[in-house]
Amino acid sequence: MKKMLILSLMAVLMALFASTVSAEDKLYIYNWTYYTPDEVIKGFEEKFNVKVVYDEFASNEEMFAKLKAGGTGYDITFPSADYTAIMIKEGMLEKIDKSKIPNFKNIDPELIKTITYDKNCEYSVPYMKGASGVAVNKKYVKNYTKDMSVYLKPELKGRMTLLDDMREVMGFALKANGFSVNTINPAELKKAKELVMQWRANILKFDAESFGKGFASGEFWVVQGYEENILSELEDAAKKDTDFFIPSTGGPCYIDSMVIMKDSKNKDLALKFINYIHEPAQYAKFVDKFGFPSINVPARKLRTGKPVYTEEDLKKCELKLDLGENLELYNKIWEEIKNE
Amino acid sequence: MKKKPPVNPMDRHRISGSFFVFSMIFFYAPLLILIIFSFNEGKSMTFTGFSLRWYKELFFNSAKLWGSFGNTVIIALVSALVSTIIGTLGAIGLYWYNFKLKKYLQVVSYLPIILPEIIIGVSMLMFFASINLPLGLATIIIAHITFNIPYVLLIVMARLSEFDYSIIEAAYDLGAKEIDTLLKVIIPMSIPGIISGFLVAITLSIDDFVITFFVTGPGASTLPLHIYSMLRFGLSPVINSLSVILIVGSLVFALTSKRMFRHMFN
Amino acid sequence: MMKNYGQRYTLPLLLWITVFFVIPFSIIFVGSFLKKGLYGGFELQFSLDAYTSLFSNTMRKVSINTIIISVITTIVTVLLALPTAYYMARSRYKETLLFLVIIPFWTNFLIRIFAWIAILGNNGLVNNFLINAGLLNAPVQLLYNRWAVILIMIYTSLPFAILPLYSTIEKFDFSLLEAARDLGATKPQSVYKVLIPIIIPGITTAVLFTFIPAFGNFAIPDIVGGTDIRMLGNIINEKLKTARNWPSASSISVVLTIMTTGAVILFTRLTAPKRAAQVKEES
Repeated sequence: MKKMLILSLMAVLMALFASTVSAEDKLYIYNWTYYTPDEVIKGFEEKFNVKVVYDEFASNEEMFAKLKAGGTGYDITFPSADYTAIMIKEGMLEKIDKSKIPNFKNIDPELIKTITYDKNCEYSVPYMKGASGVAVNKKYVKNYTKDMSVYLKPELKGRMTLLDDMREVMGFALKANGFSVNTINPAELKKAKELVMQWRANILKFDAESFGKGFASGEFWVVQGYEENILSELEDAAKKDTDFFIPSTGGPCYIDSMVIMKDSKNKDLALKFINYIHEPAQYAKFVDKFGFPSINVPARKLRTGKPVYTEEDLKKCELKLDLGENLELYNKIWEEIKNE
Repeated sequence: MKKKPPVNPMDRHRISGSFFVFSMIFFYAPLLILIIFSFNEGKSMTFTGFSLRWYKELFFNSAKLWGSFGNTVIIALVSALVSTIIGTLGAIGLYWYNFKLKKYLQVVSYLPIILPEIIIGVSMLMFFASINLPLGLATIIIAHITFNIPYVLLIVMARLSEFDYSIIEAAYDLGAKEIDTLLKVIIPMSIPGIISGFLVAITLSIDDFVITFFVTGPGASTLPLHIYSMLRFGLSPVINSLSVILIVGSLVFALTSKRMFRHMFN
Repeated sequence: MMKNYGQRYTLPLLLWITVFFVIPFSIIFVGSFLKKGLYGGFELQFSLDAYTSLFSNTMRKVSINTIIISVITTIVTVLLALPTAYYMARSRYKETLLFLVIIPFWTNFLIRIFAWIAILGNNGLVNNFLINAGLLNAPVQLLYNRWAVILIMIYTSLPFAILPLYSTIEKFDFSLLEAARDLGATKPQSVYKVLIPIIIPGITTAVLFTFIPAFGNFAIPDIVGGTDIRMLGNIINEKLKTARNWPSASSISVVLTIMTTGAVILFTRLTAPKRAAQVKEES
């Protein structure tokens, strides 16, 4: 017994010691799962002779809750547009010295113009612009149009899911009615809610985590979700039976950005990383891995594959912005949707 | 009075025996699925062919996974050990003695089970941040010890309730010191309770996600965190392989170390 | 002469719980009386908003749902756990059986739930088997409802009910049962009147270990509950993360804690008056 005690104490001390070794040569990244390909990270590590510690989260909400409650230690994180705005307002971010990021010029200037939440990109550098969409299993679903009407088909009842994400679901419902995804008009919100309730009658559950798995296993035939999550679960044969589309009526889109935390201990290295990401060769690796559209203009010529959805498709989508206090309006409706 | 003929002990337990078998099937059915699919050729839930692909991936391409696994094991063992010690001593004190603050302790010690995990996670994070305690394995271990203690407390106290106190009184009458009574009488007679508490603590720690998510520091990943983050992205067949290795290893350990247990318990 | 070592034994417990739990909990308790920060967190201003918002239809519906699911889960789990633990405690291989019971739960919770989905899901083993055997035309939706939540909760709670029961039954002197039989009692009578009263503390513990985690659970309703089943744990999660309303998440937690603590105290008092008598006599 005593031996076990001593051994375990030693193990703990060693582990504690190991985790506090100097931070000079380490970069701490807090990112969406798998969002930056391993080979890009390894390339960075080799080029600058540093180590990258990569922690993961699965939603803006949990990332923000953790950082707000005091979770320190990260140099870079990847919030979406609305959360970038929030983090700026809460004073959590460091200003970015763009003179140290020469590759910034590779980013599509049209995109930069749309960034209203951080004018002139003072605190954030865009990483990726994308949108969720709908995936349909063509083996079981015939005769559908590429919009949200598929969620009203009675024969598909109990085989569909929607994202468990208030802004995403409301966004699609608002767009289907021709309204803005950032509206605060109560009448418009009410109409959107009614549409969602009609969808809700046909879906199996709201799922933001395992829609990809469920789709791949045949449990769900129609899912709302992100193409990278869904397609990565499928074998090549199954991909032929899968149709992923952004509804013709449009929906919300997001811009994920790289930001530097105010309490980062390694701001220069963080700037180098951001610059490295936008090297065209590196960015091409990123978009090729996931089939994303590219916001990095030179990378568009270097990529070897085709994106699952294109910059054109994204034109019918509207960027989700921070609603501030008006989030309460959405909160109430979402609660009603979930509880009736 | 006529003595009844000796009855084969297992005959008497047909009803409870069938409940036990049912429970075992209930527990192990999902594991069978895991085992089968760990040998699956494909990624999805339809069996396409036999393959050792995921085991190869597990052993040659999963450094991060093994790192998380190692962290999980260290955290589980350390937190279970410490919480068992604190909980056992606390149970003995609470059960047999009256003292100031007893009522306070009784209520407060069970709160960690009652409070929802996300609240415990956020509040502990806020507390650690306010005292500038760096987040990492240490904070995870502290959090795990905290939520394990009530479980050990309750299990050991239930065990103590059947104690024949006259044995302890006899020990005192014979002049035994408290520490000897503790080590030679109380603890040995409570061993099944202590071991049960320890096992519960390990099980809870291995699986904790929510609290660990909030109190962990950069780079300190545990198995549940790793798996949860993979949920959206798949590659779960590797996890199946790891689970199979873990189960098979533990089963082998359990079934072949009966002698070791006898030695430990007696 | 019994010296009062109570304080010495409980000192580590006292220190640990006070520092690492009571203090964080106080943050939550105080926070529930504060104003919601715009982007989460607490604003240092007194407000009862978090408590007045508790009296809504949603809260009522979800609370009732939570209580029903938790109570059913607890009853079934303890009823299953009792004979199982009894068998284990009386077996020659009790230590091995103890490990056998616990080992499945060292695999990750999420993995096990997905294995259940593979078994019970619309495209799962049970449905596919029944369809292939010609007994069904279309899959039966076994999951994504209240019963799926209860089933999975029983599954995850059962070992935590079995262990305390095992620990208490193992100590029981079974010759007492034989004595009762010799005195004319039937088998059920001897179990009910002799065994059960003595292992009440184990039963109480099993009930607590099942009911309390079920009450605060969010993961299981989230994964297999479908659209209709939401429990208090889900509400708290949403308040904290989606709505960024920390005081509200705190107030629900505080009320949940007070109610559960009250129920625990009540339950413990109801089932253990005899024990108090024993200890008084001995001291």
